[in-house]
Amino acid sequence: MHPSDGTLRRALDEPMAIAAAKREHVASCSRCAERVRRISADAGAVQAMLRTPSTGIDVVAARARLARTEAASPVQRPAKRLRLHQRSGRTNRLVAGLGVALTASVVLVVSGGAQDFLSLFQPSRVAAVPVTASDVRSLAGLASYGSVAGGSSIAFEPEPDAAAAGLAAGIDAPVIGDIPAGTTGAPQYAVVSGGVVTFTFSKQPAEAAAARAGGQLPPLPDGLDGSTLSVMIAPAVVVSYGIDPSSFLRSESLPSGEAFVVVKTQTPTVTSTGVTVQQLEAYLLSVPGIPAGVAAEIRALGDPTQTIPIPIPVDLASGSPVSINGVSGLLIGDSTGLGSAVIWQHNGVVYAIAGTVTSNEVLGIARSTR
Amino acid sequence: MTDLPRSAAAVGAAPTSFDRLFDEEYARVAAIARRVLGDPAAAEDVAQEVFLDLHRRFGDTPGAQAPAWARTAAAHTALNMIRTNRRRAAREHLYAAEPDASHDPQAVVETAETTKAVRSALARIPKRQATVLVLRYSGLSYAEMASALGIGVNGVGTRLRRAEARLRKEIGDASI
Repeated sequence: MHPSDGTLRRALDEPMAIAAAKREHVASCSRCAERVRRISADAGAVQAMLRTPSTGIDVVAARARLARTEAASPVQRPAKRLRLHQRSGRTNRLVAGLGVALTASVVLVVSGGAQDFLSLFQPSRVAAVPVTASDVRSLAGLASYGSVAGGSSIAFEPEPDAAAAGLAAGIDAPVIGDIPAGTTGAPQYAVVSGGVVTFTFSKQPAEAAAARAGGQLPPLPDGLDGSTLSVMIAPAVVVSYGIDPSSFLRSESLPSGEAFVVVKTQTPTVTSTGVTVQQLEAYLLSVPGIPAGVAAEIRALGDPTQTIPIPIPVDLASGSPVSINGVSGLLIGDSTGLGSAVIWQHNGVVYAIAGTVTSNEVLGIARSTR
Repeated sequence: MTDLPRSAAAVGAAPTSFDRLFDEEYARVAAIARRVLGDPAAAEDVAQEVFLDLHRRFGDTPGAQAPAWARTAAAHTALNMIRTNRRRAAREHLYAAEPDASHDPQAVVETAETTKAVRSALARIPKRQATVLVLRYSGLSYAEMASALGIGVNGVGTRLRRAEARLRKEIGDASI
């Protein structure tokens, strides 16, 4: 059997890396000899084209130059900020819905703690909480019961390839085996930086927020005032097919053909101080303005330290449990028929896939992703 | 698709300090950029940019995959420069004069024209192909290229072969 062009090319540079049987074949095959001649001619021509004269490089001076640059600009590297705009309009509804879900889930998770370092946990499953647009506004209002800090430092950075993205994120880029036939173009990579989002509960703004919601703040448990809860978000690798990942995540446009985005990140770690997360959840679900139905849904999830609640806007999408290679996940179907998404967790890693693909296709992508 | 553990194994190094990485890799990173840009000063600008970014991203212990990252970043950054207008002045300077050791005016003109044609062709072919060419002719082994590109070592030869055929076709034999 004739070796491939790639093997013959490598044989020119690293002959001993080629199996002996292949070398012997090439030595006795006139057809392969002709191929080697062509390949060698191209390689020689390109080598001549790209030849550059060697010059000495002063590494010590270069290191000093870099030190001066760093001393002059010790600020953070410039990076494109990731913003999840929520725009109206049919073409943006899928992404807007997912953006609402993400925002609300952060608000839900950021909710807790008091004086001492009480708990450190990593949720191990995801579950849907159906919400309406007004529910989302109510849940987002929970942030006004204190202050949220740190989220603005999360940045979005394009990366040239999977290796660079994996290196930057500290987690291997996802490998997708089953790409829908309607998807065209090479994958594009990006990294969303990690960060720590901290919610600090404060009595005074909480009382004001309760008054705005038309009620009174329930009695505060000991230690709740001034308590904090931090969500540590690891860097995420983003791989997109058929669309630039930044434009997709910013809801700027949806592609005309099939496109999807895969996000892979370590499971967020939640640290609370003071009261337990369970105590905090119980308290926040009892404040004025939280819809009773949503509160019931969240309580029904059980232990909040084990579950990432994913709010599903009922007018935009629907959620249903699915199995991804034996692991339970959540399939989110866009009610407009424009697309679908799936999120699941396996071995401490969260995967999310969304795009202008059918539910079956997004499940196929998910089940072939590792 | 990339298999990072395999890439890390190909590099095979323990976590690296930034200073040591700089000492070991700076000249090579600058050479990669030089391969694309031709101009040593512009190439050093790229190398500085790459190491500044690397230090800010990964700190003082950038890890075993940092050399591969730096090499790829150098190739991409330099290729981006010749593909965009953001360093138009530098590029025009580059295209205008690439002095040869010879003092023959005719030879100087021909060298400059050839250099211009080669950079222009590098800017036109797919970036992944241009990258493998730049890395190979900067002296990287197939294992190092596999690590830098995030592909299997068996795929390197295939990509390189296609890239060489494409570049040669793009520029035409007459320009060599």
